[in-house]
Amino acid sequence: MQYYHYLTLVSLAVCLATSFYHLFRLVRLGNPKDYAPAAGRTGPAIRYSFTGAMNPMKKESAFLHLPTYVSGILYHLGTFLAIFLFFIILLNIRIEGITAGIFAAFFLITGGCGAGILIKRFVHHELRSLSSPDDYISNLLVTFFQLITAVSLLVPAALPLYFILTSLLLLYFPVGKLKHAIYFFAARYHLGLFYGWRGVWPPKPM
Amino acid sequence: MGILNDDIIEKGLEVFRDPTDSKLITHLNSCVHCGLCAESCIYYLVTKDERLTPARKVDIVSSIYRRYYTFTGKIFPALVNARNLDEDTAKEMVDLLYGACTMCGRCTSHCSIGVDISYLVRTGRTMLANMGMVPATLQSTVNAALESGNNMSIPADEFVDTLKWMEEELIDEVGNPEAVIPIDEPGKRILYTLNPREPKFYPLSIAAMAKIFFAAGESWTLSTKMYDVTNYAFFSGDTDEARIIGDRLWKEMEALKSQTLVLAECGHGSRAFRWEAPNYLKEHFPWEVITSVECIANYIRDGRIRLDPDRIKDIVTLHDPCNLVRNGGILHEQRYVINQFVPRFVEMTPCGTDNHCCGGGGGQLAMSEYNDRRMKIAEIKADQIRKTGAKIVVTPCHNCVDQLTQINVHFKLGVQIKTLAEIVADALILDHN
Repeated sequence: MQYYHYLTLVSLAVCLATSFYHLFRLVRLGNPKDYAPAAGRTGPAIRYSFTGAMNPMKKESAFLHLPTYVSGILYHLGTFLAIFLFFIILLNIRIEGITAGIFAAFFLITGGCGAGILIKRFVHHELRSLSSPDDYISNLLVTFFQLITAVSLLVPAALPLYFILTSLLLLYFPVGKLKHAIYFFAARYHLGLFYGWRGVWPPKPM
Repeated sequence: MGILNDDIIEKGLEVFRDPTDSKLITHLNSCVHCGLCAESCIYYLVTKDERLTPARKVDIVSSIYRRYYTFTGKIFPALVNARNLDEDTAKEMVDLLYGACTMCGRCTSHCSIGVDISYLVRTGRTMLANMGMVPATLQSTVNAALESGNNMSIPADEFVDTLKWMEEELIDEVGNPEAVIPIDEPGKRILYTLNPREPKFYPLSIAAMAKIFFAAGESWTLSTKMYDVTNYAFFSGDTDEARIIGDRLWKEMEALKSQTLVLAECGHGSRAFRWEAPNYLKEHFPWEVITSVECIANYIRDGRIRLDPDRIKDIVTLHDPCNLVRNGGILHEQRYVINQFVPRFVEMTPCGTDNHCCGGGGGQLAMSEYNDRRMKIAEIKADQIRKTGAKIVVTPCHNCVDQLTQINVHFKLGVQIKTLAEIVADALILDHN
């Protein structure tokens, strides 16, 4: 094992430990207790929160911004695939040939989406005024993560750089908004609880 | 606004200390600054002012949380725009959270992540309330309720006079001396509540509901001691004051020994008592609590009232109050009622849980310093109404009635604004003559 392997393992440990801290804190704090009599069932509402309520045709944040929405979806798919391949690469399992080429091409698209989202954040005055350095750094790190994954699949000599950049991402994860990877699920859960208790979700046809 | 000292700032930060469940820290940590909530907000849609987007409202609250309660915010505040809670920040919070948000929650349902934005706005209001920074106009409405038992400080004798007057009118109209408005009678099945705007400005809406109760042969009463369904402390964010107001209605229900509390047509009032009061008081209701919308719907279903389908000839549309519908789950009952007797009913677009706020919620009607902004953003609602071609706008919320009435004048819509009870009372078939 090289120094960059150790760096990555330590970074991964830090990332996982802080992630588990956040997750553990959420679970320990638990659900709000609601003394009002329920008008609906929270189970189906929580399921709806993760499924039907995420339908892009039901959310103005999606259908009013389809190019951004699609870019975001692709960007996240790229992130998930890159995370999966991280463990493959960490285990020294080689991906070669046409498979590597397909993955690399996919990351070029998804990384390009990430770059597009970053440019939009910089160019649009409204987004720029809302943004903090964390917003830019988070995007840059994840976009680089995807692009360096693509490069290292095709050029094994890039692996040291791959591990260093990935380590940076893992160490940065608990620092800023990338933690939404954990809190997104909690937010959808709480939204389902809130609307489900009141009988708003799942929606009944009018 | 006073000077913020350390003690006052500590009071403001109290909301973040020792959370009792995971809801608050979840939403404080979830926003990714995508900015895609902007077009779901009436304030942004009309003004195009980037400062008024829901994301900015979330950020001002969460940036303070980050500053004082997160590692990054404490050590590298500039990295995450973590802000100190100081005079400038507090001033901006007042304008954004009180003056540019009705807490309608439409943004919440469209948020790409699922941040409960209106909940965070209310958290920010609680911070400001703890620091004594509620806008004076809103606080005076709360104080009126605390001191007099109703948010309009209507003296009890004036209230009784109004009820007696409406009772006379009703008896004349229906030609039956039994069409009374019972006052302070214990042991009735229903204790009914009112929005104080009714005795003050819209007493005919009291008569309307009394007529419905009469037609249904209902056993009911009003209380002169505590009839106010509203809870403006829900808007101000002062949980202690909200608890006091909720507790008074709770105690009056106990004192009069009714079986069912019927909440008058008031979006926030229904929400503040039905959904929030049990949590303020940490008690489960020992009796039934329903809205007047549900009450009327039940009467129709049970055949206790009948409505003339030929009485209402105009096109009617419906404004869905945010706190009753999107945040309260009462979506079908008002439609069921209207569809029983209104042949020309046209929905607004959007409607139901996706309806646009009228702009009058969140305490806006009490805060005269934001009147210009309130009427400006009402353009969206005016446009919705125009597009329906309706001559009658029905809404089961007196705050909305007030705002819609002003919209009607301001934008020259030429419509009638009615509560659900009023339009139902207009179409009642009475068998008691």
